[in-house]
Amino acid sequence: MTSAAQKSKSAITLKGSSAIVCDYLNFGINSILFQRGLYPPENFTAEEEYGLTILMSTDNKIKHFLTTTLGKLKEWLAEKVVNKVALVITNVKTLEVMERWDFIVEYEADSKGEAEQVSEKPLKQIKNEIRDVLKQIASSVAYLPLLDCLCSFDIQIYTKDNLQMPDEWAEAEPAHIKNAQTVKMRSFSTQLHKMDTVVTYKNED
Amino acid sequence: MTENIDDTILNMVKNLKPTTTDLRNTKCEFTPVKRPYSPTSNESSYEEPTPIKKLKRDPKLDMSYVGSPMEIRRIRADLVGARNTILTLEGRISHMHSVRKQMQMMFDEENHVLKRQSEHDKKSILDLEDRLQTIRKREIEVKKELAEVHNKYQQLKIRSNEEIETLEKSIEDMKEETRHMESEENGIVSGLERRITQLETMLEAAEEDAEAQKKLADELRKRLSENTSLQKDFDMKEQELQKANFYIKELEYAKENILEFHEQAKTQAYKLAHYIELEKENELFKEENSRLKDEIRNKLILEEEVHDLKNRLTKFKEYEKKLSELQVQETQNAMCLSEWRAVARGICESSDSDSVLQHLLRSAVERLQQQELTLTSEKVEMESQLKSITHEEKVAKSELEKCQKLILELKQTGEQKQNLIHRMQKKLLLVSRERDSYRLQLDSYERDLTMSLANTTTGGQIQSQKDRIENLERIVDGYRDMVSKLENDLQNAQPNAHSDMVSIRSEQITRLQDEIQQLKNENEMLRERRDELEIQLESCAIGDDTLQGGKAVHMQNNPLSDYLSKREQHTEKLEQEVERLKRKIKNMEEGIESSKLGDITMTAKEVQTLKEEIKSHETQAQMLKEFFKSQMQDFRNVIYMLLGYKIDRTQNSLYKLRSMYAEQPDDQLCFQVDKDGDLNLLENEFSATLESMINLHLKHQKSIPVFLSAITMDLFNNKTMTKTFQLD
Repeated sequence: MTSAAQKSKSAITLKGSSAIVCDYLNFGINSILFQRGLYPPENFTAEEEYGLTILMSTDNKIKHFLTTTLGKLKEWLAEKVVNKVALVITNVKTLEVMERWDFIVEYEADSKGEAEQVSEKPLKQIKNEIRDVLKQIASSVAYLPLLDCLCSFDIQIYTKDNLQMPDEWAEAEPAHIKNAQTVKMRSFSTQLHKMDTVVTYKNED
Repeated sequence: MTENIDDTILNMVKNLKPTTTDLRNTKCEFTPVKRPYSPTSNESSYEEPTPIKKLKRDPKLDMSYVGSPMEIRRIRADLVGARNTILTLEGRISHMHSVRKQMQMMFDEENHVLKRQSEHDKKSILDLEDRLQTIRKREIEVKKELAEVHNKYQQLKIRSNEEIETLEKSIEDMKEETRHMESEENGIVSGLERRITQLETMLEAAEEDAEAQKKLADELRKRLSENTSLQKDFDMKEQELQKANFYIKELEYAKENILEFHEQAKTQAYKLAHYIELEKENELFKEENSRLKDEIRNKLILEEEVHDLKNRLTKFKEYEKKLSELQVQETQNAMCLSEWRAVARGICESSDSDSVLQHLLRSAVERLQQQELTLTSEKVEMESQLKSITHEEKVAKSELEKCQKLILELKQTGEQKQNLIHRMQKKLLLVSRERDSYRLQLDSYERDLTMSLANTTTGGQIQSQKDRIENLERIVDGYRDMVSKLENDLQNAQPNAHSDMVSIRSEQITRLQDEIQQLKNENEMLRERRDELEIQLESCAIGDDTLQGGKAVHMQNNPLSDYLSKREQHTEKLEQEVERLKRKIKNMEEGIESSKLGDITMTAKEVQTLKEEIKSHETQAQMLKEFFKSQMQDFRNVIYMLLGYKIDRTQNSLYKLRSMYAEQPDDQLCFQVDKDGDLNLLENEFSATLESMINLHLKHQKSIPVFLSAITMDLFNNKTMTKTFQLD
């Protein structure tokens, strides 16, 4: 951090990049939860972020779950063990995976070496990119199939093999979707992490 | 006549009265009141006033003794006044005497007249007696008539009652009938009813008349009795003409009434005669009624028949319709059949009879079906073959296309090669020309060499050099022409590579080849990518896309698992509840918990209302209990007081009786009711003392009440005895 500050004012360290990614995920996941109608709209409150009004859940359970999950994810992103993060929407009755939002993480500038990685990309630009993605997520409701059944969600983190499983965490069944249709959103990059947002949903045909 | 006489007497009496009253005013003691009542005692009444006058004078004479001169003077003045008054009174008396004489005269005259009148009256009384006797005779006759009429009336009444009953019955019957026939026969029935009501009213009128007659008869009887009493009076007091007259008047009135009664009897008789007519009319109506009933019955039968016939007609119409339809169908069918037969004949190619035709047709059809089956199977085979052939054709076509492409490519390459050959030929031409030119040069050089060898002279040399220059110049020109020509050719043939030479071309070819190589590599890469994507797509279709290496982790208590666990708990709860409910239903089916369920299914309101009801019922029951208790107590007290025994039921069917006069409180009689309902006396200390009574009343007389009363009597006697002893 100190070295990054010395180099440039706008330099972003790996941890900072992870934090940006996690912020994005927090807002993105909340937005998805609202947009996809997993919880009643009265459980959401509007927040201003990235120049957008994003509806955030007020449910304490969800909040707690997201903070713990994303906190762990932040560490793992800094450790570069995460392949992707998947928000899995499952039909509660049939336990069928209805929708999966993949946030695929790519590590840029990986060849430069381990420590002291910094990004020179201005924060405003990153935020603009994130805003575009979030806009796309918001507009995705137009083409995604209606979830007319009782659904719940889960966050799965796809990691590399050499991961030490912390407490309260367990290995999950990969959420496969049969007869899937995939739509790729815009991606954004912090020059350390490149995040591709892909929604995979069950094709109804 | 008698009336006139009465009037005159009455007038006389009236005229007399005012004068007498005047007299009374002056002479207070004079009372002629009795004079009209007793005309026979006129003389005595005339003499009466004189002694009274004397009595009046005597006290006045006695008064002359008393008094002083003042008094004497006063008395004298009084005496003078008295003398004057006496004189006036004497005058008055004389006047009165004259008046009396006049009166006497008048009375005499009157007496005379009255005597004559009485004689006349006696005559008239005799006449009246005669008349009365005749009237009596007539009365007896009338009575007889009345009795007859009464009898007749009673008979008539009985008959009319019977008739009324019969008529009422008939009316009821008719009413019932009318109820049956009301729809059709309203008019007639109403007419009949009207007539019946008329008859009833007539009957009622007749009854009323009869009642009136009865009343009249009663009245007559009364009057007769009055008449008899009057007669007695008449016999006893013949002098009392006025009464007689009054009775006569009454009798006359009665006579008039009798006349009226006669008239009424006549009208009654007329009505009786009319009643027969009414009966006849009634019979006529009955006949008419029976006739109408018959007609109605006939009409009903006819209607039923008509209805039946209508139904049959409609049915027949329907049948007709059906028949016509069937006929049309039959004709159509016949046509169809003929057509079919023709067709069958055509198919069977035979002119046999119709009976054989069917079998032939069937066999032909079967044959055709079999053929069709075989043909279809062949067709299926053919189709499969066709498919395989089309498939092959497609394959062949694709191959053909490939081949054509190849041919095209080959053609293109051939054209290129021809072009190349053309160019090569041109080059060859160029090269051969060059060679020719070089040869010419060589020849010229050889000739020069030979010329120089042969002609060493300068002139010759110059000449030869000039020739050579000329030749060379010509050659140069030739070259120039050729060059220009070639350039033109080249420009025509290959405008792009106008200045291309073979080296440039080869370079180009190599370049193109590199390019091809590059594209090929790219193609290879794209193909690989495509394969990869296809694999991905397949995995997507299967649903195995998300995990490529590594592992997926998630938090153990994520919302989904939370929800699922919650759901599991919920389902468990529900299952438990279902189990419970199932058990309940089972119990309910067995009828154990039906009442409980009833409570459950009821709403709170109902429960509330039911509770209230229960409360009210309880209070009612309580009230009833109290009421019964008090009543029971009263009843027991009354029984105790009336019968002298207090009856208690200690056990079921065990009754203890204690007498009012029991000597000791433990003296009780126990009775037990056995199964047959008989009472049995149980033995105890008290009953042991009553052996004689038991023997007498229970065993011999077999009566418990007698036994009990005997005990009562015994105890009572004992107690009273003891009491009396105590008193003694």
